[in-house]
Amino acid sequence: MKRQWIYVVVVLAVLSLVMACICRPKAVKPTEEAAKLIPPAEKKMEEEVIAAKEPAAVKEAEVKEEVSMKPVEEVSPLEDIHFAFDDYSLTDEAKAILEKNATWMKNNPNAKVRIEGNCDERGTNEYNMALGERRANSGKKYLIKLGIMEPQLSTISYGEEKPLDPGHNEEAWAKNRRDHFPIVK
Amino acid sequence: MKPKRIMNKRLPKVLLLIGIVLILFETLEIASAKIYIDIHTPSTRKLPIAIDPFKNLGTIPDKENISSQLIGVMTHDLEISGFFQIIDPKSFIENPQTAGITSDKINWTDWSTIGAEALVKGGFSLDGKNLMMEGRLFDVIQGKFLAGKRYFGKVEDFRLMAHKLVNEIIYQLTGEKSIFETKIAFVSTLSGNKEIYLMDVDGENRQRITSHRSICLSPVWSPDGKRMLFTSYKRGNPDIYLKDIFYGNENIISKEKGLNISPAFSPDGKKIALTLSVEDGNSELFLINLNGNKLDRLTTDWGTDVSPSFSPDGKRIAFVSDRSGSPQIYSLNVEDKSVKRLTFEGNYNASPEWSPRGDKIAFSRMMGNKFDIYVMDPDGSNCQKLTSIGNNEDPSWSPNGRYLIFSSDRERGKKLYIMQANGANQIRVTSGKGEDTSPAWSPMIGER
Repeated sequence: MKRQWIYVVVVLAVLSLVMACICRPKAVKPTEEAAKLIPPAEKKMEEEVIAAKEPAAVKEAEVKEEVSMKPVEEVSPLEDIHFAFDDYSLTDEAKAILEKNATWMKNNPNAKVRIEGNCDERGTNEYNMALGERRANSGKKYLIKLGIMEPQLSTISYGEEKPLDPGHNEEAWAKNRRDHFPIVK
Repeated sequence: MKPKRIMNKRLPKVLLLIGIVLILFETLEIASAKIYIDIHTPSTRKLPIAIDPFKNLGTIPDKENISSQLIGVMTHDLEISGFFQIIDPKSFIENPQTAGITSDKINWTDWSTIGAEALVKGGFSLDGKNLMMEGRLFDVIQGKFLAGKRYFGKVEDFRLMAHKLVNEIIYQLTGEKSIFETKIAFVSTLSGNKEIYLMDVDGENRQRITSHRSICLSPVWSPDGKRMLFTSYKRGNPDIYLKDIFYGNENIISKEKGLNISPAFSPDGKKIALTLSVEDGNSELFLINLNGNKLDRLTTDWGTDVSPSFSPDGKRIAFVSDRSGSPQIYSLNVEDKSVKRLTFEGNYNASPEWSPRGDKIAFSRMMGNKFDIYVMDPDGSNCQKLTSIGNNEDPSWSPNGRYLIFSSDRERGKKLYIMQANGANQIRVTSGKGEDTSPAWSPMIGER
């Protein structure tokens, strides 16, 4: 019996020693010693500020030179077609316009046409870029169906980035949900 | 033989004793590390804090009023944090002539009388272009010094010093690292074109980092905070650029025919998920490496698939698809490409952003012709609406998952706002000319 108790006491003694070692550093309370105020980590700050790799800022002069490039509407002999919100299907009105546009293109076979798909400002830029791409392709497919050859056409989506009307209302949005058909060289 | 056997029988009791001792020690340990602000409780009471004007400890007079500028930066940061009730300096009663910045020279009742529970004191000294600043945090109730830091640097970097001190204060009071040394990337029309900008979390220190004079969109940070991906029409087509933020060089890494949009870094920074056009202008999600080589096609369906956001473990990708007829949020298993639909309410759910903690997905939803920010669990459950005024879009998480930055048109034009992850404390951080959109919160840059 006695040996067993010695065993328990020894285990406890070792345990408390171990605990004392583990716990001592954590138990130190913050003091106001000046040394405590300059931990090594803060020394790093000094170096960091001096060697600060600030993001490459564009030079001030460049900002002053910059001319505002508001999207300029290219005049096109071809008429825009319009879409419903979050929709890329062609309305009867859009189809009628595409038929007129196709006639013009057949009469001007050397004119290359870029179909620009656009959206209104609602929704995310990213989804709208994909939606604009679909609108451009809807226009392209119908023109090909009407006999226009593919090499005469190209497509691009501007998503919500090139609004014709900068307004924030349904009237502006309706104008901006469109395919635009500029002639490109 | 006999005693040994008895000892073996006693062993479980000894183990039990060790267990009890261990538990006792751990309890003591928890009790000693006091948490002043429990950020895990959604409706935490705001801690009343006083920030005493910093004392000029040197001999050079403070002509540029660095003292009040430091206090201004710190006060704004503490307001953005949402954890504090900042006590109006007009109510301070301690005599600044006799009081000091160490606990032996503080009249505690002067601070407890005005309701302060935490107190920040500090000083600075100027030497030519150099600035030394020190700040000390006190527990007013216990009349106790909690922590102090001293910073050395250039006068022009005083904002960074103030941000570092605020991070220290929040760390001491909450036990968690805060975000005031991080950066926000965003798109602004300030120059007349959409370009990418960087700013501090408080909206200051704005720097334009692109000069494309075209349309730049969708900035995202690499996990190491050194590079950025974005979309630009610089060459006429929407291509993806990879830019080194600190050296400025940029490369086109994806310029396929059609769309190259909505890039997202994988959590290990080695892969990029993005949207590319396939036949007939349908858009699908792909995985490429940093050289732009295609690694994998992630989606195959007739719908539009955009805006991928990786889960922190890299195993899943939240994204937007209109395969059901309207834009909804889906979760994709990167390994087997299986897809689960997460949103069913509303006809327009977009811009999912997986929280860095992995526990939530933030997104924007259109209801009644108006967009708001929501969060949900990664399985689509527990959906909560966080905003209500104006249109609110493009949420991006802070690297500690405590805050969201987003764009809103609730005042005039689109500006950026920060709120807590539960929607509390919505504060505008950008102002002036230009529409500010597509914010992207950096990783913990300050810890490099």
